[in-house]
Amino acid sequence: MAATSAPIAAAPGSRLWSGVGLGPTRALARRALRDARVRTICFGYLFAFYAYLQPVAYRDGYKTLASRVAFARAFADNKAVRLFYGEPHSLLTVSGYAAWRVGGTLAIFAAIFGLLAAVRAMRTEEDAGRVELVLAGAVGRRSAYLASLAAIAVGVLVLWLAETVGFIAGGLSAGGSAYLALATTSVVPVCVGVGALVSQLASTRRAALELGGAVVSVFFVLRVIADTATGLGWLRWATPLGWAEQLRPFAGAQPLVLVLPIAASALLLVLAAKLAVRRDIGTGLLRARDSAPPRLALLSSPTAQALRSERTSLLAWLGGVGVFAYILGEVAKSSSSAGISKSVNRELGKLGTGSIATPTGYLGFTFIFFVLAISLFACAQIGAARREEADEHLETLLALPVGRRGWLAGRLVLATVAAAALSLAAGLLGWVGAASGGVDISLAKLLEAGANCLPAALLFLGVAALAYAIVPRASAGIAYGLVTVAFLWDLVGALLGAPKWLVHLTPFAHIGLVPAQRFQAGGAAVMLAIAVATGLAAIFLFSRRDLAGQ
Amino acid sequence: MAETQLRAVPSAPLLAQATGPAAIHTTALCKRYGDTVALDGLDLTVNEGEVYGYLGPNGSGKTTTIRLLLGLHRPSSGRAELFGLDAWSDPVSAHRRVAYVAGEPFLWPAMTGVETLEFLARLHGGTDLAYRDALVERFQLDPNKKIRALSKGNRQKVQLIAALATRAELLLLDEPTSGLDPLMEVTFRKCIEEAKERGQTVFLSSHILSEVEALCDRVGILRDGKLVDEGTLADLRHLAAQTVEVTFTGIAPTLPTLPGIQVQSAGPNALRFEVSGSVGPLIAALAQSGGTSIESLTSREPSLEEIFLHHYDGSEGRGRD
Repeated sequence: MAATSAPIAAAPGSRLWSGVGLGPTRALARRALRDARVRTICFGYLFAFYAYLQPVAYRDGYKTLASRVAFARAFADNKAVRLFYGEPHSLLTVSGYAAWRVGGTLAIFAAIFGLLAAVRAMRTEEDAGRVELVLAGAVGRRSAYLASLAAIAVGVLVLWLAETVGFIAGGLSAGGSAYLALATTSVVPVCVGVGALVSQLASTRRAALELGGAVVSVFFVLRVIADTATGLGWLRWATPLGWAEQLRPFAGAQPLVLVLPIAASALLLVLAAKLAVRRDIGTGLLRARDSAPPRLALLSSPTAQALRSERTSLLAWLGGVGVFAYILGEVAKSSSSAGISKSVNRELGKLGTGSIATPTGYLGFTFIFFVLAISLFACAQIGAARREEADEHLETLLALPVGRRGWLAGRLVLATVAAAALSLAAGLLGWVGAASGGVDISLAKLLEAGANCLPAALLFLGVAALAYAIVPRASAGIAYGLVTVAFLWDLVGALLGAPKWLVHLTPFAHIGLVPAQRFQAGGAAVMLAIAVATGLAAIFLFSRRDLAGQ
Repeated sequence: MAETQLRAVPSAPLLAQATGPAAIHTTALCKRYGDTVALDGLDLTVNEGEVYGYLGPNGSGKTTTIRLLLGLHRPSSGRAELFGLDAWSDPVSAHRRVAYVAGEPFLWPAMTGVETLEFLARLHGGTDLAYRDALVERFQLDPNKKIRALSKGNRQKVQLIAALATRAELLLLDEPTSGLDPLMEVTFRKCIEEAKERGQTVFLSSHILSEVEALCDRVGILRDGKLVDEGTLADLRHLAAQTVEVTFTGIAPTLPTLPGIQVQSAGPNALRFEVSGSVGPLIAALAQSGGTSIESLTSREPSLEEIFLHHYDGSEGRGRD
């Protein structure tokens, strides 16, 4: 009763507010915004914190002009460092340093944010069948599309504000901060366009993320080539990550470059909109095959079947880690030729980056990123286990003669073996790259560097599994959050003047930078012990709780 | 009160009970989710070879019962046993003798029908492959289609085929025909009848009453997590009101008020009686007040639907304690 009479009563007032047909669009946008709030807030904190930290640390580390000149000279041609942060333009000022150090890194995160946001809003919702429900109501496809975009636009605004505020708090000028943040976040709309387009092409969330991930990887690789290879700098114009550099915040700004991301995102979004209005709901333009000849391999146990369904993502991880390790090995030599002075090296130590003056030092420093990556991989494995439960597949399995302990133990073994394979790939391909780049280092030493990633990753796997056993619905968030916080704390804990015992709480503080430093056997042993203990506790506790659906 | 009366008379399968533990046995089984009581002291016994219909509206605790029987959720108190094995602490041994069909077909979208059937068969063990192929034919399943591309009814067929092909001693079916078309519903009923002939036990949770009426030896009715009525269909009918319609040659006479009998007018010269218990007093009263003018008399047993609605029409349920 109330529902049927309400629109009539409210009509005169609501028309004024919403215009014709904007009411449901607004409701949808609000719903999408709510849906994305956790991700938006997390990215916002990351952007603000990172933007604040770098100028503060630089000002603290390089007080005199002389030290800054030495730093700039050391880095001007250092390809190995450019790989991570892009091409530096002005390293003598705090703002120039911040633009180089923050812009390059956050632009990558901005790209990931854009892709995730678009696929979540435009494909995951449809994959789950909710879009059908919405479009069965009085909402057109255009409105639904615009509502998703409006919600994402709010998210972009939040990131831009967070980064700007971070820089201002770090002591940069307000106008410059806003422009630098604009350069970083200019990547987001383009990647939203990519996400929107792949959401029309692929018919499942997973396929859309794989396709979009491949495109973003190409963007990244293009930027890496442009920043490191001689004579290929023009490639910077071919990638949104390069455009963010070409905007040159704090180094002779070129705001006209903004035309590129604006045009590219408009083009992609309009194209995606045209496709979205034409295609059947619930399908993608790249038609997934409905039938297939049976493949009966890897069906003998739940663990085998897990490997079967995760195989594409496992191969993507292996490929990504391998390629990146190869590139790092290949460019490691150029870092030593840059001739970094001892004092600069010491200063770098204060920034939490360790010694990178030699190829070994550089590899030791960069391999910490593999510890991070493989730890995140461990979180993703627990996330996959949780999805199996949330989708009720686990109920189907456990109604068969399949034991709970065996099921979780199988998933943990699978994750452990896969993490070991990733570590091996990092070490092996790092060595191949180093050998081809002319670095004199033994295979054994780099395999050790790879294996050095494993204890921390397994520690996080165990803790994530424990979270999964106790609070299944929050487990993925807890796992990813712990890894991120532990990593950042290792970078900044000392800088912020925290007491030693507090800094040492993070596992990253107990990892030797192999091959530059010695392998810390004690730390590794403690981490492995915690990993085993938490893993066993997880298996025990999981076998005692109710299954939890969505 | 009526309930105690009913329980005191053991139904036929109970008397014919074979040696060995019952297929399903629960004692004072309770399940709470936070403040919600989903199941409240359930005592249930299903003997081997029985087809047991488990009735109740949405949210009455049917699926909770099955989750506890399968050891997917842990009882807050009480015990659930399958073939004498504890459902929570020894699920794997119990599940070797059980096949389960969920109300929602939760299967892996990227796998085809063949791959799914093969996977489920390898995990269960003991699947009759020839029977499985026959079932694929009978249910007209296209086995090379991916689960993603199947409609809900077709996914349900995959689950049903996997469960039936195991020839498990106990089939736990949770609204197994939701989404099936009427033709497939007929096939399903035939399969259950065959299972029964082979001596398999079937626990059929459903709210499709015609299905339960056609298949089940015994029926339990669940309301708010409690069993409010249980027995064979004959038992339940005996205790529910039956309908008697009488047509007279002239104007219908006025009868005295009789205990347990409700009168309604059914036209100018017809009356409808709802009779609980014996019809004897009604016949006597009719004979007294002009038995010669009766043109026709029909009596009808209550359908399961009427019995079911009787428990849920808002009046206090008969067996409510």
